[in-house]
Amino acid sequence: MTEHDNSWITLSIRNLSKIFRSKHDQVQALDDVSLDIREGELFTLLGPSGCGKTTTLRCIAGFEKPSSGTIDFLGRDFTSLPPFRRNIGMVFQSYALFPHLSIFENVAYGLRIRKLSRREIEDRVNRIIALVGLEATQKRKPSELSGGQQQRIALARALVYDPQLLLLDEPLSNLDAKLRVYMREEIRRIQQQAKVTTIYVTHDQEEALSISDRIAVMHAGKVSQVGSPDEIYENPNTIRVADFIGQANFFACEVQQDAVPVVTFRSGERITLTNSSGSISSFQDREGILFVRPEQMEISADPDYPNSLRGEVKVILYLGSVVRYYIEIFQNHDPQEILADQDRRVQGVVVGDAVAVLVHGQEAKLFPTEQRQQLDKA
Amino acid sequence: MARAIKQRLKSFEFTPYLVLGLALIILVVFIVYPLSKVVFNSFIELGDAPTLRNLTLANFSQFSTSTLYRSAFFNTMIVGLACVLFSCLIGIPMAYFVAKTQTPLKTFFLTLGTLPLILPPFVGAYSWILLFGRQGVVNYFLETVFNFKLPDIYGAPGVIIAITMSTYPFIFLLTYGALISADPYIEESAEIMGASRWRVIRTVTLPLVVPAIVAGALIVFMRSVGNFGVPAILGGNFYVLPTLIHFQVTGFFNLNAAAAIAMVNVVLVAAAILLSQYVTSRRSYVTITSTTQAARISSSKLLKWVGTIFCFGVIFFSLLPHLTVIFTSFTEGWAGTRYPNKFSLQNFRRIFEIALVPIRNSLFLATTATVIASVIGTLLSYINVRKNLRARWILDLTVMLPFILPGIVVGVAILVGFSSGLLILSGTWMIMVVGFFIRRMPYIFRSTTASLSQIDVAVEEASTITGAPWLTTFRKITLPLMAPGILAGAVISFATLMGELSTTVILYSARWKTISVAIVEYLFSATIGPAYALGTILIVLVLTAIFLANRILGRRMSQMFKMV
Repeated sequence: MTEHDNSWITLSIRNLSKIFRSKHDQVQALDDVSLDIREGELFTLLGPSGCGKTTTLRCIAGFEKPSSGTIDFLGRDFTSLPPFRRNIGMVFQSYALFPHLSIFENVAYGLRIRKLSRREIEDRVNRIIALVGLEATQKRKPSELSGGQQQRIALARALVYDPQLLLLDEPLSNLDAKLRVYMREEIRRIQQQAKVTTIYVTHDQEEALSISDRIAVMHAGKVSQVGSPDEIYENPNTIRVADFIGQANFFACEVQQDAVPVVTFRSGERITLTNSSGSISSFQDREGILFVRPEQMEISADPDYPNSLRGEVKVILYLGSVVRYYIEIFQNHDPQEILADQDRRVQGVVVGDAVAVLVHGQEAKLFPTEQRQQLDKA
Repeated sequence: MARAIKQRLKSFEFTPYLVLGLALIILVVFIVYPLSKVVFNSFIELGDAPTLRNLTLANFSQFSTSTLYRSAFFNTMIVGLACVLFSCLIGIPMAYFVAKTQTPLKTFFLTLGTLPLILPPFVGAYSWILLFGRQGVVNYFLETVFNFKLPDIYGAPGVIIAITMSTYPFIFLLTYGALISADPYIEESAEIMGASRWRVIRTVTLPLVVPAIVAGALIVFMRSVGNFGVPAILGGNFYVLPTLIHFQVTGFFNLNAAAAIAMVNVVLVAAAILLSQYVTSRRSYVTITSTTQAARISSSKLLKWVGTIFCFGVIFFSLLPHLTVIFTSFTEGWAGTRYPNKFSLQNFRRIFEIALVPIRNSLFLATTATVIASVIGTLLSYINVRKNLRARWILDLTVMLPFILPGIVVGVAILVGFSSGLLILSGTWMIMVVGFFIRRMPYIFRSTTASLSQIDVAVEEASTITGAPWLTTFRKITLPLMAPGILAGAVISFATLMGELSTTVILYSARWKTISVAIVEYLFSATIGPAYALGTILIVLVLTAIFLANRILGRRMSQMFKMV
């Protein structure tokens, strides 16, 4: 399966724009969005609130009419088709179960509209309720179910009539942290079993990374990057994506290209990046912003360790799986705080100690200086 | 190209536009059209063609030349202001006692305190004469025991007392609602700063409920300046604008003059609305947020007992006329004698001989109008809440207008609108149904708007995406979820239509007399017994409807009136 293999594409969004007009102003919610969703994949739209991910989803569902652009599903023009003709399953953020109907009737709703026989309705509802693991609840009303259970019924209701496409709009945002992790694995399992092409909207990058086949990172109505979770995390194409996904350190620096790149920091310190990725060796400019994940930063108790940055430990946070060190370094007299995640505590290092920070080159990346403005905290 | 258009048409959903468009057309035909026509006609002299060239102020000139017109205007003002004043004097303390003191039987007071809103005031109006009139029981008793006589109740005092006793619940219930939802911490912080109990009430508690009191006062004013039944029965020569309108319509068949008086009546109401908005907007209030903390209750024993006696007194006094109606209906030929002496069912037997038709008419008209109001009101509130109309306030105002305007003005408008022109309905039952349904649709509109705004849009979208067209979603999801709101509005609409008088007197025809018209006719011909037997039947019908609705909806009556 390559990027240009069209045979796998089911949903194709071309140049989608959406402008919301109110009395006095207008908001460009979507700005020329193009996406291709492949058969059977779980595709996530990820971004902060207001980035246009929900608007994209609602255009796919048909609840919003795009201002321009087209949505094509398996060669069929979706753009002006009313939502109820699209054969889509959707799970809403609020679950939106029908409060006056029993769990059975909630799930059976789509089948009744499709006028299936009573036997088949019963059969299918039982099967799907078993798939989500809630056999005992059929006669109850939605209000008698817990949040997690309602969530699963919403999923069952959306899947029971074998939709061609499943849309999930922030389905986990109303659950508590532990249930959220459990439910996202459940969603993944059920989606795999049902083999349904799924578009998932979330603002939670950890959720997106763990559940998706591919992710589109969105910002201000535009798609910033599309790729697998690994690609997005390890090889972000802009500072903004790098900053939004996971934790990141950024350093203003200069690069000399020899056999191996040598990075000179504002403080005057120089580091030779070994095992550096292609993006750095091909870097044309002399100035840039170096991006390194916290887990690519290694701490040495010896402040004079060669090929490293000098800093002072400010805070040590024990997070269970990693130990996070907040280290202050000096860039041209301006203090900058950076993060370094270690697998375990570094022996002999306490808050206030001077340490050396080693930068592992293989996942470091250089961005042009102009992208600095994409950083909120810059 | 043609195929593309065909595709477009196929994918377009017509049903919602068809159904909702129909509701809007009905709104225009039955509210906008007659109301604009009555405004226009008030500037046309009787007999002239309704053209722009014939516009004149002649119909209004009577207000400067005729003493009858002028006194009617001032009388209406006096009735309105006095009723607001007395309703506040009764309603505010009562709300305070029930909300803030250890007064027992709160549910009892709240329920019985709501009754006067549903029971038609004109039914009990004559009881005031029976009790406190010159020949009344109370006066007879006072005279023989203490050699003392009450001032005459006929005219202004009777009208004001009778209307006040039927309007004070607006002040009571609204103030009560504001008092129990006010943040108790605000009062506590005043107290902690050293304010005395009375000072807290004066400087904190009362100002916080002022918006509620103003809203209540506005409704009281609108109700009292628009009341026809009470001044018709108790007024005598004390004319108010609604009775003057009635006089013009039935006495002279001068609809244009009636329209002009109606305009003046409307101006009074509009002035009151503007004044109330001015009062509430001039002062800024802390938003009353409902906290989980229950309202703080005074522990004073004195207030508890004063409150109990006060509330009992008000409830007793306000229901006394209706109790008298029921009591009297079982007596023979009271009114002529000092005290009732013979009890029988004779009055009821007589009613079943002569008044089955009005009962049947009232049931038929009220039911038909309620059904229509429910259907149209529900659709309109759907448009109001779900469709992002830019001119939403126009829709809201148009639907609410017949509620704001005096009933007799609505009656005149409907009569003017449909006694000539394209659609002639005068003399039929249909014109009464039109008047009834537009006057009660606001109840349904308000209560369904409230229940619809609580339904998550996503629930309807979930149905749509599952494959349901608009109508299926509306039928299977939206309507069932709105049902409690529709039912609550429909019951109040039905119950109050059963005793509707002020629109009816303008629109009814000989074949279509209602219970209320029959009662008034009996009262005027001094056949008190049958009038009160019919009144008792009306009271029982109204209370049964409310009782059943309470059972089905499982809420208290006072809660059902939140939207009024």
